[in-house]
Amino acid sequence: MSFIPGQPVTAVVQRIEICKLRQCDNLILGFSIGGGIDQDPGQNPFSEDKTDKGIYVTRVSKGGPAEAAGLMIGDKIMQVNGWDMTMVTHDQARKRLTKKNEDVVRLLVTRKSLEDAVRNAMV
Amino acid sequence: MPAEVRQEQSPSNQTSLAMMQEPQEIVEETVTIEEDPGTPTSHVSVVTSDDGTTRRTETKVTKMVKTVTTRTVRQVPLGPDGVPFPEGSSPLGSYTNSIDRRFMKNGERFSTPQATSTLTRSYNNYSDSYGETPEGPYRHYGLHDGYGDLPDSYGSLSRGVNYRPRYPYMASSGYRPENSYTLPIRKDDYSHVAQPQVPLGGTVDLNRSQPERFQAEPYGLEDDRRSLGPDDDEPYDLESDYSTANRRTVGGANHGRHMREPPRVRGGYEDPIEADLIDDRHPYMPNLYSAPLAQAELGSLASLDRMGPMGGRRSPSADSVRKDPRWRDPDLPEVIAMLGHPVDPVKSNAAAYLQHLCYENDKVKKEVRHLKGVPLLVGLLDHPRPEVHRKACGALRNISYGRDHDNKVAIKNCDGIPALIRLLRKTSDMEVRELVTGTLWNLSSYEPLKMVIINHGLQTLTNEVIIPHSGWEQEPNEDSKPRDAEWTTVFKNTSGCLRNVSSDGAEARRRLRECEGLVDALLHALQSAVGKKDMDNKSVENCVCIMRNLSYHVHKEVPGAEKFQEPSTNQAPGSVGPQRKKKDDAGCFGGKKTKEEWFNQGRKNGESEKSYDTLDLPKRTEPTKGFELLYQPEVVRLYLSLLTESQNYNTLEAAAGALQNLSAGQWTWSNYIRATVRKEKGLPILVELLRSDSDKVVRAVAIALRNLSMDRRNKDLIGSYAMRDLVSNLPSGQQRPAKNLEEDTVVAVLNTIHEIVTDSSENARSLIQAQAIEKLVAINRTSQSQRETKAASYVLQAVWSHKELRNSLAKDGWNKTHFQPTATSQAKGTRSNKPAYDDTTLPLMEKNQGNKKSISGDMIPMDELDPDGYSTIDQKDKDCKYKSGDVSSDLAEREPLKNDTNRKQFVRTNRPAVNLVDTCDVKPQPVDSWV
Repeated sequence: MSFIPGQPVTAVVQRIEICKLRQCDNLILGFSIGGGIDQDPGQNPFSEDKTDKGIYVTRVSKGGPAEAAGLMIGDKIMQVNGWDMTMVTHDQARKRLTKKNEDVVRLLVTRKSLEDAVRNAMV
Repeated sequence: MPAEVRQEQSPSNQTSLAMMQEPQEIVEETVTIEEDPGTPTSHVSVVTSDDGTTRRTETKVTKMVKTVTTRTVRQVPLGPDGVPFPEGSSPLGSYTNSIDRRFMKNGERFSTPQATSTLTRSYNNYSDSYGETPEGPYRHYGLHDGYGDLPDSYGSLSRGVNYRPRYPYMASSGYRPENSYTLPIRKDDYSHVAQPQVPLGGTVDLNRSQPERFQAEPYGLEDDRRSLGPDDDEPYDLESDYSTANRRTVGGANHGRHMREPPRVRGGYEDPIEADLIDDRHPYMPNLYSAPLAQAELGSLASLDRMGPMGGRRSPSADSVRKDPRWRDPDLPEVIAMLGHPVDPVKSNAAAYLQHLCYENDKVKKEVRHLKGVPLLVGLLDHPRPEVHRKACGALRNISYGRDHDNKVAIKNCDGIPALIRLLRKTSDMEVRELVTGTLWNLSSYEPLKMVIINHGLQTLTNEVIIPHSGWEQEPNEDSKPRDAEWTTVFKNTSGCLRNVSSDGAEARRRLRECEGLVDALLHALQSAVGKKDMDNKSVENCVCIMRNLSYHVHKEVPGAEKFQEPSTNQAPGSVGPQRKKKDDAGCFGGKKTKEEWFNQGRKNGESEKSYDTLDLPKRTEPTKGFELLYQPEVVRLYLSLLTESQNYNTLEAAAGALQNLSAGQWTWSNYIRATVRKEKGLPILVELLRSDSDKVVRAVAIALRNLSMDRRNKDLIGSYAMRDLVSNLPSGQQRPAKNLEEDTVVAVLNTIHEIVTDSSENARSLIQAQAIEKLVAINRTSQSQRETKAASYVLQAVWSHKELRNSLAKDGWNKTHFQPTATSQAKGTRSNKPAYDDTTLPLMEKNQGNKKSISGDMIPMDELDPDGYSTIDQKDKDCKYKSGDVSSDLAEREPLKNDTNRKQFVRTNRPAVNLVDTCDVKPQPVDSWV
């Protein structure tokens, strides 16, 4: 999912809708994110392009809402409820995902297997 | 929040039914109604405060709960004419009957005094009994003009009480109040006491009428402004005798409302009403307690000042007292005297009222004690009537709550603890069990009572509560699925009590460990919690804390422990653990070579890894049980699950503390534990918790890591992967990090670092790479804390002792002076300021000794450390702020005192697992947030 500066970024995305789970006072999604423009992209084990500062799914808790919705480790989150996630800080992404007043988050994610599948289909 | 006592919830319906069958008894009925959540709450009692000494155990009744209307009906033997015998053998006092609401609504219908046809049954009963009663007087009331003028005051139901026809009672003027418990003022009024109003039929009425809207609470806390809608607008021309009769009944339940009437009363019916009012407030009746008594001048209110904590919830009676100085509540001595009253409901209501008065009011508690109320209450615990022992127990629970240990001692001194235990054995009523265990929990927070509770109650608590609620079965039925634990209030209270007593030193631990079924049941409960992923509740916290406490010093205190000791790591494997091991020897170690490899060869990674992986834990031919379960390697997984999943800081701390305790000491089992933690991938979990926001979690984890690093392989791993997290918990000079950890924690972290870098130049290198030297030097030079200074100084010395590192240190601009103890820190190094942490759950004594032998490093002047510098055992006399001064207490001492305030969502931040980190990588670590 690398991009060429100046060119529009294209990506194969999947829509994933996650209903937050209420645990006591907290609404949880059941996954963890890494990355962000304020983080060191070189340490992101999931990105192909080590300069990618996007938000990545680093862990998905077993049996959690995210897993049920089909989110996978290594997915790159493109949008959250329509908000762009490719150029945000880690904390901005976290906050966007954890809005207390939203019970559902709709994600656009991309992952390598999706891109591969599309590429194969086109071949 | 242990104890929620709901006075109102008492399931006394059955009781009252039973009682009804007894003639000439007070019939008390408690009706439980769902109350509208919108109405103001009544706090019967509840404490949420966390004073350092006790768990809140008082009770709170929120108003959304059920309210109960208590009716007390006295059945009086009637003479042939329907008039009660004047000398009624039963002390009947007044009768209080609550009118059902329907009844009240119907009030409007009584527009004419003659409207007998509209009378509800109770009225009819009444008239049956008193058929000969002249109607005249009633009519008189109804016709009275004055009612019409009276505005809202008529709206309240209770008002009716005051208007109760008094004439019939005149007949019973001979009635003599039978005892001294009556309030003085009342005495002359007893002639007016009107039992007859509650005819036999009254019981029928009770059955049939369920109050719908109007809920009176026994304590009179109900909102006295609540009035029946329709009545508000009704001019009281309906105030017919019939309706008054009804109202009066209502008033009985609605004691609080009495207050409003007086003004009206004065206007219209001074004398007669006065008499009626008095009737209603017969001191024996439950409503009495909240009902105002004439005689504000007694000034007893001062002693009953219970308003403070309840804020807006004022007792209507108090309010009304202000409005009408003629009424008062019974004062404390009177209430206490009523505890000895021969009539059971009087006792129970007195106890209930005491409970209410004591709620969050230390002054009243003290006064109750001084007035010798505690022995009376304890005596009532053995009372056969559920109502009585329940309420007595409720009062005791409130009294036992709080910092004032004298109250607890008072309960103990009149043998209250055995009485509570007896009651627990006897009753199957959940509410009573909650109250008993809640009281015991309160009592258990006071050191001197812990052993008493153990002596009297340990096995009972275990058998009656812990085992059944844990779901553990001694002999599991093959067919049945293992049961899960039930997190009931009773279980929570009991586990809290045991948690407290388990901190009472070695003897207490021994008793608990040897208590049959206790450890098994607790473990089962915890496993069930892990299985259900329900690990954040208080019961789990209590169970883990008990386990942690019982794990303390297992390697010394458990019977036969000496056989497992491994004084040095070179001990021949065959010599350890004779008794359980004999059969296991081969399986355990597979020979000396394997074990030694495993234990001593940490540095050679490949090999030691291999030998570790092939290490067999002891195989058992029969299931372990009892205290042996405490230190079986299987528990490691349990604790690690808790550490991974729980959001409760106290649970996290306790689980880490348990691992810390188990991995301390030199005996066979701690070796297994240390290896198992690694094998179960526990190190990353622990290291991750170093990032916790909770001070005490960080501390417990740091100390656990230190103990775990006694295993050489663990030491290398921790040095490689945990150093950065350890260092990040250190303050930068005087500037505290974001977390602002306590001194104890910083010292613990420093000691752990010291342990890790000692004798491992690689780890020391990691420390340098984690840029810790700057922090350490800063702490050493500038910290305000002597203990921190000293601990940092030891770490620096340890680093400097690695000669091969000095070059690179010099390159970074450090020189020898940075690593030498500063003059001040040396001066500060007094015995009372040991470098080691104060955390007494860390039994490192043996470790210390063992290390002295095995440590090859010559650099660390161990002698300069105080001899017991590493042992946390003898430091109890140190100034530990958590300590109450009792040297026999453990860390757990403070556990029970903690509140939940710090329980918040624990978000593990940062990267997923330690092993992602390259030790040589000095770049900031990737952040990773759970969402």
